[in-house]
Amino acid sequence: MSEITMTLCLLLLLFAFLGSGIWVAFSLLGVGMIGMMAFTGAPVGNVLATTVWGASNSWALAALPLFIWMGEILFRSRLSEDMFEGLAPWLTHLPGRLLHVNVLGCGIFAAVSGSSAATAATIGKMSIPELSERGYPQNMILGTLAGSATLGLLIPPSIILIVYGVATEQSIARLFIGGVLPGILLVSLFLGYVIIWSLINRDKIPQEENHYTFKQKLEGTKRLLPVVLLIGGVLGSIYAGIASPTDAAAVGVLLALILSQLTGSLTKQTFIEGLLGATKTSCMIAFILAGAAFLTVAMGFTGIPKMLAQWIATMGLSHYALLGALTVFFIILGCFLDGISVVVLTTSVVMPMVQQAGIDPLWFGIFVVIVVEMSQITPPVGFNLFVIQGLTGVNILRVAYAALPFFLLLLLALGIIVAVPEVVTILPEMMSS
Amino acid sequence: MIRKTLDTIYNASGYLAAFFLMIICLLVICQVGLNSIDRISTMITGTAFGLTIPSYADFTGFFLAASSFLALTYTMRSGSHIRVTLIFSNLSPRVQKVLEGWCLLFAATITIYFSYYTGYLVYESFIYNDLSPGMIAVPLWIPQTTMFLGLVILSISLVDDLITLLSRKTISYNQSLEQHAEKINK
Repeated sequence: MSEITMTLCLLLLLFAFLGSGIWVAFSLLGVGMIGMMAFTGAPVGNVLATTVWGASNSWALAALPLFIWMGEILFRSRLSEDMFEGLAPWLTHLPGRLLHVNVLGCGIFAAVSGSSAATAATIGKMSIPELSERGYPQNMILGTLAGSATLGLLIPPSIILIVYGVATEQSIARLFIGGVLPGILLVSLFLGYVIIWSLINRDKIPQEENHYTFKQKLEGTKRLLPVVLLIGGVLGSIYAGIASPTDAAAVGVLLALILSQLTGSLTKQTFIEGLLGATKTSCMIAFILAGAAFLTVAMGFTGIPKMLAQWIATMGLSHYALLGALTVFFIILGCFLDGISVVVLTTSVVMPMVQQAGIDPLWFGIFVVIVVEMSQITPPVGFNLFVIQGLTGVNILRVAYAALPFFLLLLLALGIIVAVPEVVTILPEMMSS
Repeated sequence: MIRKTLDTIYNASGYLAAFFLMIICLLVICQVGLNSIDRISTMITGTAFGLTIPSYADFTGFFLAASSFLALTYTMRSGSHIRVTLIFSNLSPRVQKVLEGWCLLFAATITIYFSYYTGYLVYESFIYNDLSPGMIAVPLWIPQTTMFLGLVILSISLVDDLITLLSRKTISYNQSLEQHAEKINK
């Protein structure tokens, strides 16, 4: 059997497993086992146990449950309510006014939570009623929310970047720092779009009557500040090389606990709920990663990724053609799979191809995450679309239509980092080692 | 009686997993604290105490594996493991039942196979006395046992769910998801 047929068979098998409703981690394990049994003589069971054990006890991976826990704690604090009061007074004079609360609120919350669906749900729960009541156009409310919530995936500390870093053996600290400028770029693009849209459609943006004094503005922001400082501190200590991501995450958990104690939202119940929630989410991700680690090794035994890489190399594609093809492939995958699954699948099969083509794996990580962000707001399975449909009852296709400009802005950002890779690489290169 | 015992085991392993997660956090915080003391003493006196928790990175890894594997069943029964339900949810209830059976059978087969070989890995680590490479050499079969236990409990739970499905009752994770949906809609 030729290797192309082998690849196609396994890919079809994987989609059949996933499509029939088998859990992602089990699908990955199953395809790996079948691939190894069919095409190699290696001892499947022993390789399975050894690989998964090796992939699961890792110091770097410990950052994952800790950051998830930090998010769970802050998620249960009064953060989302404070967000509106803290941001709104500053934004009433900007064209687009309170629409910017969605973008900035998502940006800040994204840094905390690392999940785009959670960001959409939390910010949306607070901002949709407020903004609708004040008469902002529905399309823009939904669009800014759906688009900005995807920032959760990129703005560090990002869960999906930890997953990518662990799966491809890249430094998580460098990935985090690499995500900073593209994150700022995206926020600026979103803000810029809202401003331009509002200048064109002046009549559609309601007037805001509240004139806050500077002191009142500060008063509102005061409660938001600790969270911003917390995130800044976590990132800063990683950037300065004082702390590894795991260290920073543990301290982040401690500070988040102190913070929610001070604001009075820490009770025995919220503590246990947060801890159990973090345990479940990180177990789910760790299991998918274990499945992916085994699939990667199993694929290594079959020689498929290497062969694919050589095959691509003989086609003499340019970087741009390869990246273009991969983008289309990921967006299609992302229509059916969640972001983390897309990333781990990528790393099992696509990584050798990417390295063969001489693409920087650090840069590619950020690239993949932006593509995955785009897939969060494309029907039929954009997670953000589902969340917003659940919040508002607006049909998923209408939400997708409202989010379309933001999809295009993400595409633009992707174009920018392809054209100017330094946006991603310059900060990690400057980082102290 | 059996029902109650099994549920206790499932939940207990979940709580134990959460406990390990907490221990990871404590361990790393202590290490960061010791590091800072060292840093400050270097600044003041020019010499560090060299304070460090021996092999803390190894221990963090072991606790992480323990937490991940012990939580498997708890996570499964609460419906938190990710699956693609796009096709699934558009089928008739009867076809859904059949597919659910296939999924459970598939998962149970893999988990039992996986448990068997993990048991073998533990056994090998035990008889060859494999040690972790750090300052404190831990016999590897000890942390590996948590992975084995987690997988065995998951196997039991999956078979349990398969039997529940065959006896036409609601399986654990669907029940959790229904309860969750009710709570949100209230």
